[in-house]
This record gives sequence, C-alpha cells and structure tokens, in this order.
Amino acid sequence: MLLELREVSRRFGGVQAVNRLSMTVAARTIHGLIGPNGAGKSTVFNLVTGVLPPSSGEIRFKGESISGLRPSEICRRGIARTFQAATLFRESTVLENVLLGCQLHAETRVVPTFLRTAAYREKDRAIHARARALLDTLRLAEAADQRASTLPHRDQKVLCLAMVLATGAELVILDEPLAGLTAQESAETVATLRRLRAEGKTILLVEHDMRVVMGLCDVITVLDHGVRIAEGTPREIQRDPSVIEAYLGAEDTRA
Amino acid sequence: MIGFGLLAAAGVAIPIATRDSYHLDVATAILMNLVLTLSLRFEMSTGQLNMAHVSFMGVGAYASALLVMRAGWPFWAALGAAPLLAALVALPVGRIALRVSGPYYFLITFAFLEVMRLLFNNFFPDYLGGPSGLVQIPPPSPLPLPGGAVTFTGKLPQYWLMYGLFVLTTAMLIRLEHSRVGLVAGAIRQGDLLAETLGVNVLRYQLGAFMLGSFFAGLAGVFFAHSHQVLHSSDFALEPMVLLVVFTVIGGTQSVWGPVIGTVALSIASEFLRELHHYEVLVYGLVLMVVMLAVPEGLVSLPGRLAEALARRRRAKAVSMGAGLAP
Repeated sequence: MLLELREVSRRFGGVQAVNRLSMTVAARTIHGLIGPNGAGKSTVFNLVTGVLPPSSGEIRFKGESISGLRPSEICRRGIARTFQAATLFRESTVLENVLLGCQLHAETRVVPTFLRTAAYREKDRAIHARARALLDTLRLAEAADQRASTLPHRDQKVLCLAMVLATGAELVILDEPLAGLTAQESAETVATLRRLRAEGKTILLVEHDMRVVMGLCDVITVLDHGVRIAEGTPREIQRDPSVIEAYLGAEDTRA
Repeated sequence: MIGFGLLAAAGVAIPIATRDSYHLDVATAILMNLVLTLSLRFEMSTGQLNMAHVSFMGVGAYASALLVMRAGWPFWAALGAAPLLAALVALPVGRIALRVSGPYYFLITFAFLEVMRLLFNNFFPDYLGGPSGLVQIPPPSPLPLPGGAVTFTGKLPQYWLMYGLFVLTTAMLIRLEHSRVGLVAGAIRQGDLLAETLGVNVLRYQLGAFMLGSFFAGLAGVFFAHSHQVLHSSDFALEPMVLLVVFTVIGGTQSVWGPVIGTVALSIASEFLRELHHYEVLVYGLVLMVVMLAVPEGLVSLPGRLAEALARRRRAKAVSMGAGLAP
C-alpha cells in the first residue's frame, strides 16, 4: 500500500471533522474521496499533506510514518497536492510557478549561489529543462512567460497540476480538479489523469462531478460526518445502501 | 544590473565632484543606510518585518569595537568576524521569532530590540560603556597592500571603505535576488502555505534570510563603530529602527530600487530638516502616512502606476472617439 491511514482523527474544538478514519490507497490507482459537504474530505487532504497535524492516529507513506512532519518534508517524500480554488503564485510567470515545484530537486546553498558555481548552473539548467518539458506536455509552453494571474481558468487549473507534477511526487492529491471546467476541458483533464496513472502515478482526488468520478476512479472511499461509510469500486459504491441514503439518496430526493 | 552599475558609478563620482567634508559625511551615511535598508528589504522579501534589524547592527558594532580594543584584533579581522557573530546571534533569535508570523513576529523582534538596547545600556558597563557609551574606538587600521599601506583616518578614505562595503553588499543581494533563492523568496511572500506544500521548507528560508540580513546589518555596524569611534545604546534603539523601516517602506519593497529611492531621498531631506530636531520624525511620520495612502506599494511603484493610468486614459479616449464615429 502506498498510503495508509490508521484510525486517524482530527478535532476542531468540539467538532469531530475526521473520526477514526482508516483507509488505504494502492499504488498506480486513481482513488476518489467523496461525500456530502462538510464530510471531512478537505481535512483528510490537509492531514495527509501535513498542513494539519492529526489529533490522533497514524499516517504512513511507503511504509514510513509521516504524521507530524512538515508539509515540505512530506512533499520531498513524494506527496504533492493542489488546493481547491486554483491556488498559484499569481504575480509570478507560468514558468516560475513550475520552477518552484522543480526547485526541491536543486538544493540551494548560499555560497554556491553567490559564486554561481558550475554545479549551481548545471542544476539551474536541469530544472529549467524539466519545467519546459512539463509545460510542453501540458500544452502551456506558449504561456511560459505570461503572468499566472492572466491565464484563463482552465490554464490555471492545468498550471496547478503542472506545479504538483514538477515536484516529482508519486502520490498526487487533487482537490476538485474539474471544478469550473467546461465539458470539453473536463474531458481533457480526465485524459491527462488517465495518462498519469499509466505512467505510474497514484492519484487521490476529491471531485463533485459524480459521472466523472464513477467513470474515472478505480476505488472510491465515501465519507460522511468524518466517518468512512463505504469503500469499493464505483459499481459497489453505487449499489451500497448506506451511500445511497447518505449521499446519492439525498440527491434523489432533491430531484 | 545596469541600474546598479549607474548607482556604483554615481558613488565614484561623488568624491570627484566634492571634497567638502560635510558632503562626504552625508554620502557615507547614505551608503551605510543603504546597506541596512537593502538587507532589511531582503528579509522582508520572505514576508517578515524584522524590528530588531538595528540590534544586529549593534551586535556587529560592539563586537568589532571590543575585538579591537580588548582582544587586540586587527580591524580587518574584526570586520570579517563581527558580522558573522551578528548572524550567529540571529540564529537562536530567528528560531524563536519565526515560530510565529505577521504581527506576532513583529512584536517578538520588537521585544528583542528593547532587550538589546537595555543590554547595551546597562549590562557589562566595563565592557560596553554603560549609559555614557563606549568611547575611544580606534579608526580602521591601515590596510597593508603590496603597493604600500592604505590608511583610513580621513573622511575620504572612510568614504571609499564604506563604498567598498556597499558595492559588496548590493552585488551579493542582487545575485541572490536573481537566483533560485530569489525565486523561492518571491513564492513565500505570495503564498507560504503553497510554497511549503511544494517542498519549500519556509522556516529554513526565512531563517536563512534573517541570518544573512543580520550579517549585513553587522557589517554596517562595524563601519559605524570605527568611523564614529563612539557607540551609544540609543544608536540601536527604536528611533533609528523606525527610520530604516520608513526609508524602506516609502521606497517600496517590491524591488531593490525601493529602498534605494527611499533611503537616498529621505537621507538628503533629513539634512534639510535637521533644525527641527526631535520633530524631524514627525515629518517622516506624515510622509509615511501620505505615501501609504496614495501609493501603498511605495515610490518605486509610481512609474508603473503612471504608465498604467496613461494607458487607461488613452484607451478611454480611443473608445469615446470610436463611439463618436459609430453610425
């Protein structure tokens, strides 16, 4: 198992946002995390990436405990994420945004930076090449020198993904990667995610578009009020009575 | 880069244009203040305002004075060691202060400023001189060069010494700005959480910037100690600190040019405001308020804002003309 949560809980004052959650994410799968608003999906992401420490329980990545580590250290070990709204460095250029994701492969020390040693310049060339190649594959190369805030929404979402991929993370965590995209753009992103899985990445995502989630994910975990109520293949989830009651059922009554 | 070439050239031109000792004094003080504001801005570029910057200048100043006077070190060895000591003191201070950010960081560093002022003023009076200050600090000793020793006793040689330190500081800070360090600093300023989740150890970078900024503050302190030859705790108190912040913020912190504009303009202005004595600060306060209300990003952002406003007007004009031509 690539990622494993053991009885992980997180409280905010009196609110139990995540309650004794155990789940596993297998390597080279696309794993969906779904549930009604306030189910604790974003909190789970924050716990796994170290943005929040768990109140109790343990999170293991590639067999090692990562609970309590700084987010940057967790990223170095191979977990990177996007945030819900397209969160990027708005004043920087597209290339700089991606370079920042690359920079953990080029440790920066003060003296070599002053002296611009051969090793420093070599690393600089390497991460520039890496960033350019990524922009090429995601078809953002033409916008490389544009300011990130000037990109259209779809390109901002793609840029967020590029930044995460730049870190080289094995486990890519995506918070609503399709939010605000047109059907066409959404289909492109889905194709990209499938390609990433084929290339060996593992993807954990939160997404509200049920049709896409059911078509894309290998495994789905369903949360409600911070508790796992079901886990399985899309087919199993669609048939699960507790899921229908807590989640899909609620939509049925509305319809 | 070209800009700083011009600035460096202006620095060479000043002593050619004037040998007046008052002018040289002002020019030397501006160069020293530039080292302080540029290094303060470097720290601010990772998103933190350090209110104890002058305290590290004080550490460099007192350390260098004591190394020369008590330990018998040559000035040039103290010039290298004292800034390193300032950076070393910054390490534990930074580790504690950087546990928090924003206003809390401001308050912790502010508290440190007061602690250090009290220390300079009241503790170890036999060494630090107590409330009456540390006096009789020797000037920089002659530099033994192959072509004969160069002495640093007059105004002009001291100007050149400060000029050398200034060029060294700006060259290093600009090199950092245009490097991966600058890239990461810009990212931290825009979104420290995002940078952290992308693998940037934000704390490490902020601590590094804090130590490096303190190193340069210490360097300015060494020069201050041996050129003034007198140190007093009030040189490292709130008032000079506020002035540094005002210089930096009025100029703007977006680019290295901000502190340059702010420091040069206000240092020259302060020579004309000298007769106001303590009320001088009142003028700075007013200027700061006006700038913050009118151009919150500092004077350095003015050309860009003007260009934008002009472009808007031209567009508006084009639109209204187009409307007039429409059938």
